[in-house]
Amino acid sequence: MSMFDGLRFRNVSSPIHRIDPRAKFIYVCALFVAAVLFNQLIPLLILLLIQIPLVVMAKVVREWLRLIRGASFFAAIIFIMNVISLYFYGGYPSLASIIEHALAMTVRFIVLVESFSIFFLTTSPDMFGLSLEQIGVPYEFCFAFTTAIRFVPVLAEEAQTIIDAQRSRGLELEGGNIMRRIRNYIPILIPLIVNAIRRSLELAEAMESRAWGASKKRTNLYVLKMGSRDYCLIIVSILMVAASVYVWLFIKIPSITQILWP
Amino acid sequence: MAVIETSNLTYTYPFAEKPAFKDVNLKIERGEFVLLTGPSGCGKTTLCRCFNGLIPHFYGGNLEGEIVVAGLKPTEHPIYEMARHVGLVFQNPENQLFALTVEKDVAFGLENIGLPRDEIRRRVDWALKVTGIYDLKDRAPFELSGGQQQRVAIASVLAMQPEIIVLDEPTSFLDPLSAKSILEIIHRLNRDLEITVILVEHRLDLAARYADRVIIMDRGQIILDGEPRRVFLDERARLIGVGIPKVVRLYLMLMGDGIDLGRVPLSPEEISESIVEVLTSDRS
Ligand SMILES: Nc1ncnc2c1ncn2[C@@H]1O[C@H](COP(=O)(O)OP(=O)(O)OP(=O)(O)O)[C@@H](O)[C@H]1O
Ligand SMILES: [Mg+2]
Repeated sequence: MSMFDGLRFRNVSSPIHRIDPRAKFIYVCALFVAAVLFNQLIPLLILLLIQIPLVVMAKVVREWLRLIRGASFFAAIIFIMNVISLYFYGGYPSLASIIEHALAMTVRFIVLVESFSIFFLTTSPDMFGLSLEQIGVPYEFCFAFTTAIRFVPVLAEEAQTIIDAQRSRGLELEGGNIMRRIRNYIPILIPLIVNAIRRSLELAEAMESRAWGASKKRTNLYVLKMGSRDYCLIIVSILMVAASVYVWLFIKIPSITQILWP
Repeated sequence: MAVIETSNLTYTYPFAEKPAFKDVNLKIERGEFVLLTGPSGCGKTTLCRCFNGLIPHFYGGNLEGEIVVAGLKPTEHPIYEMARHVGLVFQNPENQLFALTVEKDVAFGLENIGLPRDEIRRRVDWALKVTGIYDLKDRAPFELSGGQQQRVAIASVLAMQPEIIVLDEPTSFLDPLSAKSILEIIHRLNRDLEITVILVEHRLDLAARYADRVIIMDRGQIILDGEPRRVFLDERARLIGVGIPKVVRLYLMLMGDGIDLGRVPLSPEEISESIVEVLTSDRS
């Protein structure tokens, strides 16, 4: 669950939370481009570090650390796979340079996770849905999205109740081989699915009763407006991409191994 | 003028063998507070679904007879048009709130009908104040207690400014205290805003005092319909097994012992008043 906790929105007020989701999304994309452009350790470490002030400003350090911890398992796999494959196929001069390259790939992965988590940790699903709506995504999709998010805690709680109920009737969840374990979960999945269907019918009924689909031109209680802060972030993002492309094209980036053992 | 009128209304769910209710003739006047009750499965919810057109538009099935609600025939008008005149509040508060903030939920219907933004804002604030949850407007509905959620549900139909509000067992998920406060809100909507209320309720002890009229259904038919004090005295009400208010039962017990309280009571306050009256007049 720790991995998902990192993606769950907690409403705090901070300068980062107030930034328009669209601007934040452009920033995430810019980081993404920059991270994919480089495969050397030094620029990727820089990308990793420049985001830390944002996390602190957004007051989501704890959630963010939990998310990074959740991702560290995958990071370890990426690192090991890279070391192994570079050792056998790559023409790398030394073990140190192999490790450096593998580390770079791992840091790239962490940068991507980091930027997405900053986005989701500081953007309320409502605001995210709203920004989708304002960039022209049909309302039905946006509504489905926010409703799905709204029901995550409800369904999680329901799943727990069902698990407890089935356990108290003697259902064993642990033990046995993998097929056995999957089969063990059927008595939990079936009531969960049946309940979810019943719930969605009730929701549909309530939506219909509140004039769902009445007007083609739906009003929204909230509107997002870009402010100067948001434009600043967009400009920074663009500059970041431009700088990255420039460095990538014209500057030879040294590797740490070269610096240490020239 | 009748705000709801049905004649020989009969409805059968798709694939059902027999109708959920049969030959219902009902006339509800503007501004009435109608309490609808009856044993489980007698067709109360099904009848409510006809008032805003969920039946037949959402449920399909076979609806026969005539029904007119707020001057419109729900069979001929889409649900979203009926929704401006009839608000439905359902049993489970959790499954009728969709948004991530309370005020957004209350705005949902108004957004759907495409009102201008400042008008939405005005009506949302008004509905939140009437139901006493203005302070909760920025909270997430799923963090609230059941009673608070049900207030949000009421506010969200109220914001549409309907002439009729239909509530299907709005208190059945709530503890007695929250139930009481929800019923008081409903009472105020009826008394102060003159909204016609149809309340389906099993908790007659709490609800009876507000009703102008009680309708008791059994097995798809209206068995009793009239003034609460008369309906609760009827032998048939007791036989069907609806929970006749305890104060009415006490009244009948005292009657059996030869003590006539005069007026049939609908609340503990009323019966204690009558008892005090009888006692003081006895002494003189
Ligand atoms: N969606 C449905 N499809 C088919 N049959 C239904 C459906 N909903 C209810 N019924 C049937 O219609 C009849 C009336 O049910 P309804 O839910 O209206 O009763 P109710 O008076 O509201 O009961 P309760 O007090 O338990 O809520 C029942 O026999 C029920 O099985
Ligand atoms: Mg019912």
